[in-house]
Order: sequence, then C-alpha cells, then structure tokens
Amino acid sequence: MNTTRRQVLMFAGGSAVGVLFTPAPWRLITDTALWSENWPGIPAPARGEIRTRFTNCPLCTAGCAVRARCVGDQPVELAGVGGHPFSRGALCPFGIVGHHLPYLPGRVKEGPVKEAAAAAADGIAKCRSSEFVATLDLRPGRTASWTYRRAMKAIKNGRYVAPSVDTQVAVDLSKARTVLSFGVPVLDGWGTPGNVNSARAGFRLIQIDPVESRTASMADRWLRVRPGSEDALAEALAGQIPHAAAADASGLTVSEIAALSKELEQNGPVLVLGSSQLESTAGTVVARRETPVPDEWKKAAPATALASLPDRSVRVLLIDESMPGGYLPWNAIARKLVADNPVVVTFACSREGYARHANYALPVGVYPEVAGDIPASIDSVAAAFRIAAPLVSPPHGTVNPEAFIAAAAGLSIGDTLRERADAIHKSGRGTLFTYADRKSQAVKIVTADDFWKALNAGGCWIDEPAAKASAARLTFAAPAQQQVEESELPLAIVVTRELAPGLPLLSKVYQESNLRLAPGRVALNPACGLEDGSPAVFETLLGKCSVGVTLDSGIPPGVVQVSGTPALLDLCGDGARAKVVRA
Amino acid sequence: MTPGRTIPFLAGVAVALGAGWLAFPRVIYRSRPEPVNFSHKIHADKAGAKCEDCHAFRDDGTFAGLPTLDKCAGCHAAPMGTTAAEKSFIDNYVTPNREPQWAAYARQPENVSFSHAAHVKRAKMACQTCHGNTGASDTLRPYQIDRISGYSRDIWKTPGTPHGMKMADCVACHRGQGLEHSCLDCHK
Repeated sequence: MNTTRRQVLMFAGGSAVGVLFTPAPWRLITDTALWSENWPGIPAPARGEIRTRFTNCPLCTAGCAVRARCVGDQPVELAGVGGHPFSRGALCPFGIVGHHLPYLPGRVKEGPVKEAAAAAADGIAKCRSSEFVATLDLRPGRTASWTYRRAMKAIKNGRYVAPSVDTQVAVDLSKARTVLSFGVPVLDGWGTPGNVNSARAGFRLIQIDPVESRTASMADRWLRVRPGSEDALAEALAGQIPHAAAADASGLTVSEIAALSKELEQNGPVLVLGSSQLESTAGTVVARRETPVPDEWKKAAPATALASLPDRSVRVLLIDESMPGGYLPWNAIARKLVADNPVVVTFACSREGYARHANYALPVGVYPEVAGDIPASIDSVAAAFRIAAPLVSPPHGTVNPEAFIAAAAGLSIGDTLRERADAIHKSGRGTLFTYADRKSQAVKIVTADDFWKALNAGGCWIDEPAAKASAARLTFAAPAQQQVEESELPLAIVVTRELAPGLPLLSKVYQESNLRLAPGRVALNPACGLEDGSPAVFETLLGKCSVGVTLDSGIPPGVVQVSGTPALLDLCGDGARAKVVRA
Repeated sequence: MTPGRTIPFLAGVAVALGAGWLAFPRVIYRSRPEPVNFSHKIHADKAGAKCEDCHAFRDDGTFAGLPTLDKCAGCHAAPMGTTAAEKSFIDNYVTPNREPQWAAYARQPENVSFSHAAHVKRAKMACQTCHGNTGASDTLRPYQIDRISGYSRDIWKTPGTPHGMKMADCVACHRGQGLEHSCLDCHK
C-alpha cells in the first residue's frame, strides 16, 4: 500500500485535533508556567524551625550586638539588640545585610594553600639578617592580632605591622558639649552608631570639610575649607598662627574663624577630631584599660609602623585582610619588599584588595562564618570583649589566618579566644551582658565555663570604669603632601572614608541610588566639563585608571572626591592631587 | 470526505487520544518510593495518635510538617511489631540514625506561601479538608512527581483518580468563605 502525502497530512491533522481533547497540551502549559516560577535559578527560602540567635557584628570596630532570625541554620534577618548598654539596639545598613557576605559572587573560594605555606617557609628560611618577615594586620587589637605578635616574636627578624591605631585611647562623647571634626565622618561610620546617636543631643557638631560629606550635611555647622588647609585652621584656633594666615589658606573669612574660636571658648568642653594641632578639652579623651590577656602573651612583639621599616627589607609579607579594616596603599607596601622574589601571602575574601598584588591569595571564612573577637571602638570609654559567634559554616577549603601564621612561625596555639576569655574572667573585672535576657551580671559571680558559653551565645564583657580616668591624646596622621604643581594635576583629592574598603556589601544600592560613591567612581563639580555617568580616566603621580564620573554640586571646583576602594586608594597614595580627563 | 482521507484523519485522532490519555501521564510523571510503607491507620487506631501528635506546630507557631527521626524513634527505638515495614524502618533508619527522606505530597511549590497556622489555628480548618482521608489510610499512595513542574500528582488523597491542587482550588475555597483573595496573599 502506498502512503500519499495527502494521507500523511490528514493523519497529522487528525492528531492535532485529537490531542486537543487530551490533557497533554493543557498540562504542559500549566507545567511550564509552574516551572518558570520555580526553576533552579530562583533562590528558595530555607525551611525549618525559626530561631533567634545572637552574635556581634565585626564589619567595623563598633562591634554592634546582633539578633539573627534564623530559619533552620540559615540567618535570614539581622537586627540590633535592644537594651544593649552601648550599641543600644542600633545596627547600620551594612550590619543589617551582613549575612549576605558569604554569598558574594566575587568571593575568593579557593587558593594554593600548600604552595603558599611552602613559599612562606622557604622565604623565612632564606631571610637574611638585614631582612624581615612581617605580618600586616589591618584590624589590630584582636586576639588574632596577639597571635600575630607572638608569632613574629618567635621568628628571627619578625615584625608585626599595623596601621597606627591606638586601642587604648577613647573619646567620651557624653563629656563633650562641642565636637569639632576635621573631616572625620562622625555621623557616618566613625564610632558606634547607637552610642553616637544617643550622645548626639548633648553636643554641637562643627564639621570642617572641603566637600559636603554626609556628616557635613547633618552637622550643626559646616565650614567648607580648601583641601589641605585643615591644619592651618587648627593652628589658628590654637593661637599658633594669625587668623588672617588661616583665612588665606582655608578660604574662610577672618571673622568666621574668630567667631569659631569664640564659640569653642564659650561652649566647652570641646572634643577635637581629625587634627593633632588642636588639643581637646581634658576629660573628653581618656586612656582606656587594656582588655586582659594571658601573662605569657605579653612578651609578644610590639606593633611597628610600616614607614619605620627600611625600604627593600621585607622578604616575607603575610597580610590579614580577612576582616574589614584599614587600608595602606600598595605603593607604600611595595617599596618595603625586597627586590628579589619577595613572598606576599594575603588572606582575603575578595580579590579587590591586596590579592591583586600578592603571590598567593588564600580564601578565608567571613562574617558570620568564623569566630573572632572585636576590640572596643573609639567611642567606648571602657574596654570590651565580644565575639562574632558564627551562624553558618565556612565553605570547604578556607584558611584560618591565625593558624596559618602561627604554623609558619612554629608557634603552637590552642583556642586563643577561650584563653583570652579565661584571662578576662580571671581578672574579675567588669560585667557580662547577655543578649537573650538583656541582663548584666558581675563577672565575679559567673564561672569561667558559663562566661565562655555566654560569650559564644551572644554576650559582651564590659570593663568597669577605671578608678581614676587618666588623660590621653588622640593622634592623627598628617595630611598628604602636595608634590606637584596645580597645572599638572589640577584637582585636590578628597577620599571618602569607607566603612570597609573593598567590602562590596550594598554596592548595588550605591550604583542605583548614588547615595554613596560606588566602587570605581569619582565625584566632581558639575562645572568640570564632563557628563554625569560618563567614563573618564583618573590620573595621579602613581598611575591612572578608568573611573565613572558622578557630578555633585556639593563638590567645589578644583576638588575630586574619590570612593574609598582599594584600586583608587592605591593611586592616591601619598599624592594629594589628580586630574580626571574624558576617556 | 472520502474514506481515503477519513481513515488517516481518524487514525491520527485515535493515536493522539491514546497517546494523550494513556502514554502522556506515564511519561510526564516519575514515581519515587517512600522510605517505608507507613500506615496512618495503625498509628491512629492502635497508638491513638492524632494528626498533631506527629505533624506538630513549633513553639513559634510555624508548622513543623513531617516528623523527624527523633519523633519516630521516641516510640520505635526497638521494633514494635513483626511487620516487614517495621523491620525495614528499624534496620534502615532508626538503628543507623539515618533521617528518612519522606516525599511530601502536599508541599507547595516555592512560589506559593502557605501558612498552616493561618488555616488550622485561625480558620479552625480540619486537616481532612485538604489532605483527604490520609489519616485513615493503611498504605501510602505512590508518590508521583511531575517531571517539569516538580509538583506532586496527588494532593487531596481522595479515592479514585489522583488530583493535584491548583490555584483555582484555593480561590474557590476562599471565595466560598467570602474571604479576601489577592495575588499577594499567597504569592508574596
């Protein structure tokens, strides 16, 4: 029997009609609709018991108390802990989204751990008498910092390098009636948000700032000065130079400076932030006691400033950037490295920082995956000890920088956090505040095990006030020197002080809202001749890179505001001037 | 239409009907065995268990869903009978402390938010309203899952043909009760 084309078409037509009377096409429509709403790319919420757990946020030195709502073992919402004696229930926007950190797309997830350990050991063995093995700790004052100091003590020519942070000086905002800030972001990530907010009504904030920063916009008074003239203004207020000289440098009028001087005189006590040229009134800056440590730790190596190391002297450099902290421009570090094959190992969660320059970038656990303590913040008069207790497990393959550096130095360590907690407990000082019941009790009446357990379940040790508060002095780094003629690099650089350079939390919000400068962006006055959002080239004495331009009328002509991302901070370095040209 | 044309047409209709009604359901669903052929009836009759004894609400008001091994092992630490299902459960799950991976017939897709607390505690609905006679069943029905949507074929557990739960079922019930029904009630 021959099958004709017509018969095939009739069969197909019959099939098409017949299939309409079956559930198949309708089922497929329903199924594909359901599939499109549930395909694997759509994140599904966790299922499980809803629990509340407590920890502390280590994203900055404030270390705010955190209440985590967890579904099963997964934190889904972070909030502050009401009734906390210092953070007072507040949590900043970064802290609120801190549980997103483990899932960042650009996270370093694997690294050559064995190769890095072998290279570090080889470098240490080959270190000559004039060379150093250094650990750069960007977040000094932690228990891990003590381990680094001990490890560097155990190594011949070991040096512990840290940014110049004095962990034993604090400011007492409650004692100040006026806060005179030279560019310090007092209301934007400087101290503990809850403490600053609660003290805010008690002091008048005068912000000296070249640009209309967020703190400047919220200050009681904002005085716009020329970039780099802050010290001249401070010297005039201290009576060291005539007001007229400061007026010439800063762009303020003599009468404005005189009025400011009179106001500081009449409305004391005055807390001065951001300038070492002007003294704060006694009592607003106090010495803070050290959080107790085991006696055997006290023989550790002291902190060394990077600048004090000779150039071309560091053979092995181990950088802990696992916790958000300060940032030293790479050019300042690079010139300290030996010329022939230095070994640089960095412990990082992101490749945006020193991982761009290191020989080895090793993955680390991030908040809230790993335990670590948080030193007391600048505005905490009493010493404190709180642990960022982990809420989730770190991924396989991450490295503990503390264990890595101790092993490289041949230092045997145990549970250092527990040892520190035991030393605090042994001192018998202070109180333990537990978050779940919001109660304080004297450390003396708590057993060592209960103290440790409470710290890991969300708890905070707060030192008792010293019997007699001793005066102290805040020190600030000198402003960068201008090294070139204005005609070559016509723009003065003002760096936005970021909470954590390179930390990409909320960066999408920046890019879409422009509330903060997004990574890789610079802000210029609208009269600069460039278009908003246009690509441009940012150039300093140290190099150049591509940036995006944001036009902001809060930026005066002749100034460029730079987002505090590592790639741009590296270019700023010691140079205070730049130019931005159309790409 | 001549027979030469009619026969191929009708043959096409017949083949499509056969494929659509007989072959398609076998292809679109795949079956998955349950860990144990659990008898709700035995637990209800002999142990006097009620639904909420095993399918409990947590202290925070959320519904715990299927019981975990801890709950089962509370009674079945040692065999409580001589049936094959009992022996299998003890040997494969209780003794090695291995969590049984029960297949949940009524679990909604991720795009739907369903609150047991709202329906059982606030609206005082009986479990049987949605889950049929599950509590009286002596065996578990085959668990069939849609290969494309991932949705269980049988939710209502009514006798006869398996019947899934669609949005129209939810809407019909809400309308019957005179309740608000906006998209965001369930698709949050």
